[in-house]
Amino acid sequence: MSFRVCSLQDLTPGEGLRIDSISPPIAIFMTEEGEIHALDDTCTHQDASLAAGWVEDCRVECPLHESTFSLRTGAVDQPPAKRGVRVHEVEVDGDDVLVELSQDAPNLPPGVTV
Amino acid sequence: MIIDHLEEPLPGSSLKPTPPGEAYTDPEIFAREQEHIFERQWNCVLRADSLSTAGQWKTATIGREEIILVRTRKSGIAAYFNVCRHRGMRVCTTGEGRNKTLQCGYHAWTYGLDGELVAAPNLTSMPDVDRQEYGLKSVHVREWLGYVWVCLAEDPPSFEDTVLGEVRTSFGEVESIDNYGIENLACGETKTYDVQANWKLIIENFMECYHCATIHPELTEVIPEFADGLASQRAGGQVHGASFGGEVEGFTVDGSSGVSELPAVAPDQERKYYAITVRPQVFINTVPDHVIIHRMFPISESRTTVVCDWLFLPEVVEQINAGTLDVSKSVELFHRVNQQDFNACELTQPSMSSTAYRGGGALVPSEHHIAEFHSWWYESIGMPTASSSEGPAAEAEAVAEHAAEDVVEDAGENSAEASSAVRSTP
Repeated sequence: MSFRVCSLQDLTPGEGLRIDSISPPIAIFMTEEGEIHALDDTCTHQDASLAAGWVEDCRVECPLHESTFSLRTGAVDQPPAKRGVRVHEVEVDGDDVLVELSQDAPNLPPGVTV
Repeated sequence: MIIDHLEEPLPGSSLKPTPPGEAYTDPEIFAREQEHIFERQWNCVLRADSLSTAGQWKTATIGREEIILVRTRKSGIAAYFNVCRHRGMRVCTTGEGRNKTLQCGYHAWTYGLDGELVAAPNLTSMPDVDRQEYGLKSVHVREWLGYVWVCLAEDPPSFEDTVLGEVRTSFGEVESIDNYGIENLACGETKTYDVQANWKLIIENFMECYHCATIHPELTEVIPEFADGLASQRAGGQVHGASFGGEVEGFTVDGSSGVSELPAVAPDQERKYYAITVRPQVFINTVPDHVIIHRMFPISESRTTVVCDWLFLPEVVEQINAGTLDVSKSVELFHRVNQQDFNACELTQPSMSSTAYRGGGALVPSEHHIAEFHSWWYESIGMPTASSSEGPAAEAEAVAEHAAEDVVEDAGENSAEASSAVRSTP
């Protein structure tokens, strides 16, 4: 079941928005091309917010240690992170950004629990 | 017969005193200069086009501080103290690079290009940590003439008053510095000189031309009037463009023609050389077809790095880079002047600690305007001069005794004339 997480106006092209009212927190990204994606916000290697990462070529680079995650699939490209993050379904209704959370178990780093 | 060169005899002595020798050798005085001059005033650090893309950064040492200069994604060039706000490690540990963020290599505290703390291990579980408050400590930045100028002071002096206004006033309205369009020029050549001399010797050398006929044969061929010993700056700060010799075609090492003239140069500027000092560490030299800018970075009381850029029209630099235009004769002239000047400074520096120079030296009339620089220097570092004997005397160190004696004659007439830009020649 999808629910509203933010409005389009809250998003900046090329940047991520951390939504921490959800546990574990998710990140909403708008690419420079205007695509919107939702991922788990926490890197699977160490506790860091992917919303603060660098967005380029439909991937986000963790701000701490250079692993990048696909905004489309959540797959990781290189260590130190070894596991991908979950992706969530996004729907835009007018100005509202709606998300339907993945039912998979999240891949959280050591020391982080839901 | 120096006095013969002046239109009117000077009242009083022909000679004015310089600061005592230890002003050029004492590490404590150098520390005061770093604190009170280089860490408080505007410093010209690097060319803005040397940071051409977002994320590109360089480090620089200003006074006793290391700073990072970085081009941000959306708000131009920013500067920060190169100090991690977590435990203090240097954030950038090489001279230059290009990164998406500025990350400390110790605990991975990670700063955005605009300085804020964007990530750190476990930062999400420390929501009370303010991302701005624990961002990199920023440094004031201005861009002018194509260069990045920084001021480390929390409350910097007005850039408009201390740099822009003084330079524009110094050049005047007709022979305006704006005519050279320096901000639109490109760098055709850069040379870095490691000079084993105190920075003040380099400024003093640049401000006067009494030495020109002796140590600058090529320059004096191009500008024969320099043989009279008078610099661009005359008594009272009068403007004077120094004229090329009659047979001279351009500002080159052999007087041959230069390259394309800068388009907006006024008729009065077409065959003239102008030079100013922008205190504390910049020299600007203009000729019809190029501009030469020196930046000084004092390393110690007896060592100074000088970076010299030769700026030409962008189309000229494109031809230089393509190998279709040779500007080596233009560059060589001032490169030789630099070498000749810095050699003189290096041969002067060792004498600054001699007992024979303990009380300082002398300024002849064509050098008297250097006393304005000395007054500014005494005032800047809080040393008392004769006219301010009620100043911070408690801070006065041994040198003050000499200083007070030495400037007794000219402090009165010069102390109010301190300004950041003065006309000068090499």
